[in-house]
Amino acid sequence: MGLRWYHFVAWAGFVGFMFLLPELVSKGTLRIIIFANFLAVFAISWDVLSGRTGYVSFGHPFLIGIGAYTTAILTKRFDFPLELSIPIAVGVTMIGGLIVVLPALRIKGSYFALITLAYMELIYQLVQVVRPDLTGGTRGMSGLPTLTRGAVNGYYMSLTLMVIVAFSVWLVMRTRIGTALSAIGMNEEAVKGSGLSVTRLKLFAFLLSAMIAGLGGAMYVHYLGSIAPRALFDINFVFTIIVAALIGGASTTIGPIIGAFFLTFLLEYLRPYLPGAERYFIYGGVALLLYMYQPKGIYEIISRGWIKVRARS
Amino acid sequence: MSMSLTVTNLVKKFGGLTATNDLSFEIEAGQSVGLIGPNGAGKTTVFSQIMGEHRQTSGSIKLGTEEITNLSTPLRIRRGVSRTYQVPRPFSDMTVAKNIRVGLMPDSVLGMILNSPNRDRELELALSVGFSEDDLERTPAELSMGDLRKLEMARTMATDPKVLLLDEVFAGLTVAEIAMISDLVQKMRNDGMTFLIVSHDLKALEPLVDTAIAINYGSMISQGSYADVIASDEVRVSYLGEV
Repeated sequence: MGLRWYHFVAWAGFVGFMFLLPELVSKGTLRIIIFANFLAVFAISWDVLSGRTGYVSFGHPFLIGIGAYTTAILTKRFDFPLELSIPIAVGVTMIGGLIVVLPALRIKGSYFALITLAYMELIYQLVQVVRPDLTGGTRGMSGLPTLTRGAVNGYYMSLTLMVIVAFSVWLVMRTRIGTALSAIGMNEEAVKGSGLSVTRLKLFAFLLSAMIAGLGGAMYVHYLGSIAPRALFDINFVFTIIVAALIGGASTTIGPIIGAFFLTFLLEYLRPYLPGAERYFIYGGVALLLYMYQPKGIYEIISRGWIKVRARS
Repeated sequence: MSMSLTVTNLVKKFGGLTATNDLSFEIEAGQSVGLIGPNGAGKTTVFSQIMGEHRQTSGSIKLGTEEITNLSTPLRIRRGVSRTYQVPRPFSDMTVAKNIRVGLMPDSVLGMILNSPNRDRELELALSVGFSEDDLERTPAELSMGDLRKLEMARTMATDPKVLLLDEVFAGLTVAEIAMISDLVQKMRNDGMTFLIVSHDLKALEPLVDTAIAINYGSMISQGSYADVIASDEVRVSYLGEV
């Protein structure tokens, strides 16, 4: 893995700082950070699948939605405890991941992206018309059990989730599996030509991505206490996840976290000046400029800066 | 350990086009064979079928005594046959060391996660194709065509092949680079590697092969010692353009 002492110092510093944050910022800001934490989890999940292997998914809410709806239905309709419903939701989402990997065995590029978009649209329509007595139909569900109450507890819950997911993925991706997944994104044929089963590698990436999406979706729904299909299966939500991963730094674990925080705060700070959808013009413009300047994202800008500082010292 | 390669009645059709037409040959363990023919003769298609990248319409392929005709590409590589490509295929954002690392990986997710990279072997492979230790951290964008071919050789050798297929391995190389790759091939021949080599650079190819096969329109037109093949009328007309 090539772990060094400064890796642990950096992680400990990050966690320590985040842990103390409720003492430093308002509850309003904490609520924004809670969303950023969840967005970071979704962006990391997307990145494991798309940022690494190059199989760009435009339908990630398909997986998030499976996790969210599974636990919502189990708790609301069948009185399952959260300790049971959330792991089941993660398992069901991983089965959903198998459905997503199927087209990836034969097609790639824009064709794969369109199919994932179709998956999202399909589940959006299905939850509204198939068994609305279970799914809540177009209105979704409210009054779901929540994991925590209050901004501070919600913050710690989302932070714990994000840190565990990020650290675990970071560790796994530092091994050779991370190299192999990135190699698929660069040249899938050459990976086959190196004697590796790309099907097995893609299966691993898609299942890991689905596991994180399912966990994030399930925890998010039990943070909100409600689920609304229109918000969950919204194309803007898809783009927010993708842009967070891309401008933060795709094919890295830290990049999506940076991107998620950057985007969330950008949108929130624009809100007083541009309360409507105009904010998305600025958001799109900033994303475009950043992407043009450094396609590898903010993480690359920081990395290069750090290398320069080290070279000088 | 050396291995033989046996191709029997290989046929490949792309719609109405017959790219490989009832081709049969055997390369004994440790032997080196040149595969020559004009552009479009079907040389690379033969390579692709041996590697399982294209499935043959009919015919069989054996590695040693094992039938590999229906195996996937990664499984064939694990059995001991590997190839290089006309256009090198590096992993563009990875260093030389990481490119070689991919070739050294076990084909198991757990194995990849639990075991550390063998950096000594990465260095050994890099040095064996003529890289220096400093080159390990260079990226493909910084490499010349010759270096890219060396990198492809190193990654291919990392899979521990017993039979190696080299496709236009001298294309785009300087005289010095051709000499370097030739030395490497000679060294591997001495170590018992079995070779099938495609090259339009006949001058560079000649000292590297024991025998040769010439094909045109997917059919074998000559087979035997290199000198006999080059001297045959069919080869002179179809490949060398002599009448």
